[in-house]
Amino acid sequence: MTQAKEKEKQHATKVGVYICHCGGNISDHVDVEAVRRRLEKVPGVAVARTNMFMCSDPGQELIAEDLKNGVVDRVVVASCAPSLHETTFRNAIRRAGANPYIYEHANIREQVSWVHHGAAATEKAATLVEAAAAKAGLLRPLTPIRVTAARHATVIGGGVAGLSAARDLADRGIPVTLVEKSPCLGGQLARLDRIAPTGERAPELVRALADAVLNHPHITVFTDAQVIATDGYIGNFKLTVRQEVASEAFTGTEACYIPFSGMRPAGPSPSEPREFNLETGAIVVATGFRSYEPRQGEYGFGDFASVITLPTLIRKMAEQDTEGSFLEIDGRRIRSVAMIHCVGSRQIPGIHPEDASGRLNEYCSRTCCTATLNAACRIRETHPGTRVYELYRDIRTYGRGQEELYEQAARDGVVFLRFEPDQAPEVVRADPTDGYPLKIRVTDTLTFSENLEVPADLVVLSTGMEPNDVSDLVEMMKLPVGVDRFLLEVHPKLRPVEMPVGGIFVAGTCQAPFDVGETCNAAGAAAVKAASLLAEGHVELDPFVAEVDAERCKGSGACVEACLNPGALALVEMQIGGQTVRRAQVTPALCLGCGACVAVCPENAIDVCGMTLSQYEAMVDAIVADQVAADALR
Amino acid sequence: MTMLNPDFAEELKQFSEDSALACFNCGTCAAICPLIDSHFPRSMIRYVQIGAKERILEAATELWKCLHCGLCTQTCPREANPGEIILGLKRLVLDHWRKS
Repeated sequence: MTQAKEKEKQHATKVGVYICHCGGNISDHVDVEAVRRRLEKVPGVAVARTNMFMCSDPGQELIAEDLKNGVVDRVVVASCAPSLHETTFRNAIRRAGANPYIYEHANIREQVSWVHHGAAATEKAATLVEAAAAKAGLLRPLTPIRVTAARHATVIGGGVAGLSAARDLADRGIPVTLVEKSPCLGGQLARLDRIAPTGERAPELVRALADAVLNHPHITVFTDAQVIATDGYIGNFKLTVRQEVASEAFTGTEACYIPFSGMRPAGPSPSEPREFNLETGAIVVATGFRSYEPRQGEYGFGDFASVITLPTLIRKMAEQDTEGSFLEIDGRRIRSVAMIHCVGSRQIPGIHPEDASGRLNEYCSRTCCTATLNAACRIRETHPGTRVYELYRDIRTYGRGQEELYEQAARDGVVFLRFEPDQAPEVVRADPTDGYPLKIRVTDTLTFSENLEVPADLVVLSTGMEPNDVSDLVEMMKLPVGVDRFLLEVHPKLRPVEMPVGGIFVAGTCQAPFDVGETCNAAGAAAVKAASLLAEGHVELDPFVAEVDAERCKGSGACVEACLNPGALALVEMQIGGQTVRRAQVTPALCLGCGACVAVCPENAIDVCGMTLSQYEAMVDAIVADQVAADALR
Repeated sequence: MTMLNPDFAEELKQFSEDSALACFNCGTCAAICPLIDSHFPRSMIRYVQIGAKERILEAATELWKCLHCGLCTQTCPREANPGEIILGLKRLVLDHWRKS
């Protein structure tokens, strides 16, 4: 037994083990009571308890009471994945007045009950909890690492989410740099006209927000700019920004609004590309979406000029803002418009073809139903002679005031037809006798699956949302991406808009299809979280970093060579026993806690706090103990 | 293959209330109708929506099974007034017979 191990053993610990049913998620497959009985008998375990939901207030209270009453001084919770509730339980321990690092988590849901069944599940659960309890017995109270935080935030993306987040942060007195890839602010919102369901004008919204941002003393805006490199950590990020020469020279001395592009900040823009560095405490990623581009031939797109997307229709209607009995598009009188829903959304494997990269958009884009109905109502109101047909799979009018729009469309005389995904409507050239250039063949489930034909002068495809390609940022900043290619927050309810890398937040349609209101909500949330992070001037980091035992270290330097993060480990001269020696020293804020140094040290003189070798040895001992005991009895 | 006829709504206005397009085809009227166990009266409302006049004339006798109890109109969530439309369709059919 090593000295360190003996030292740790001297502090006799009282481990409390708390096993969660997860409302049946765990207890349907794991005999939770059997696990509890087994753990009760493990040496060092003071109490073992169960609860229907350990993360609930009463569950957390159970732990707090035991800590306050001195029944336990180390805590193991056996429940879901630590990514979900480790923080919850550490906070519960902190609230009970104890050190939050005397905690160990055993995952018996994702690693047990969701993948194993019967006696084997219970056996594995008990083994994992025994190992966690063994480790907990050796845990020491730790102190979080405190690092100074730059009082500055960077927002990537100048759409409505980025603008909102920047303004909210700056209003809290935090200097903000906003980096926008395109020449204009406003993003996709600037490409809309009237916003459903209220009919507000998108240009006015963009102008109001962009004005607030451009005139804010705490906000610096860079357009035609991108973050090309990132370094550092929470509170101390270092970004490299590259600003390109604007594609069109713009020398205006005042910001100007360009319809369907957005707000162009005052010039002049730089005459040569330049790169500069930013030191920033927090980052808000608000990189937004792009509208799905139908593939060639999808519902006649590309084959017929009068098959267009909804964003194109919105733009053409706004640009030819005329009244009159009939809508006119490109100088053509439109007697009949057919609008097809769910184009590029809710795609089904085996029915819809994958794109060039083998991907399908299986999600609902959420905003297109309401946007389509909004456009339909607008056409019927301003051009009552133009007939509108909507072909849908399902109508989903999420949110306040949106279902009313569906009803409004019906009362305005819009005719609805419903198709099954495997019987998609077909856009074909009409017969000369039909009197219309195009017609749509559809098997209409509302008409008892009869085959109907819809006459059309114009076909509008309600295209969905796709996240912008931010693979460079994803790679640089280690952002998690879902199978749908949207960015994944840590937890949609418990830690919304947070990325797992501390100090990085997401906001808006880079997360999921959102409408403008939802986007602003997310932006507000990200701004508040970033502001509260930067408010103190310092941040606390988890203390799971390398620690050198100066008495054992012989200064071989093996750890410094193995270290993955430059600057985290170095050999420094120090006085030990009246002699000047070279020993390894850790810079905690830079240490990744990866353990590469631990593996190479010939003297066993370096360990990662909270994950020491002796703690892992204890876990392994606990795991094999049952087998050893069984073999002995044989 | 039936081509949608948007002009039928105009023709029907002289016989019937013009509320068919308010219907969103939930089927409550067909479920509550005490007399006929098919899609009646939604089938008729749907034919009005798409302008399928021939379909209505083909199934004209179904219209006379309706007793005008009013349950469909009473329960319609969109207030499309199916009962009134059925009555209007009877007028349309009669007019058509007279002319033919």
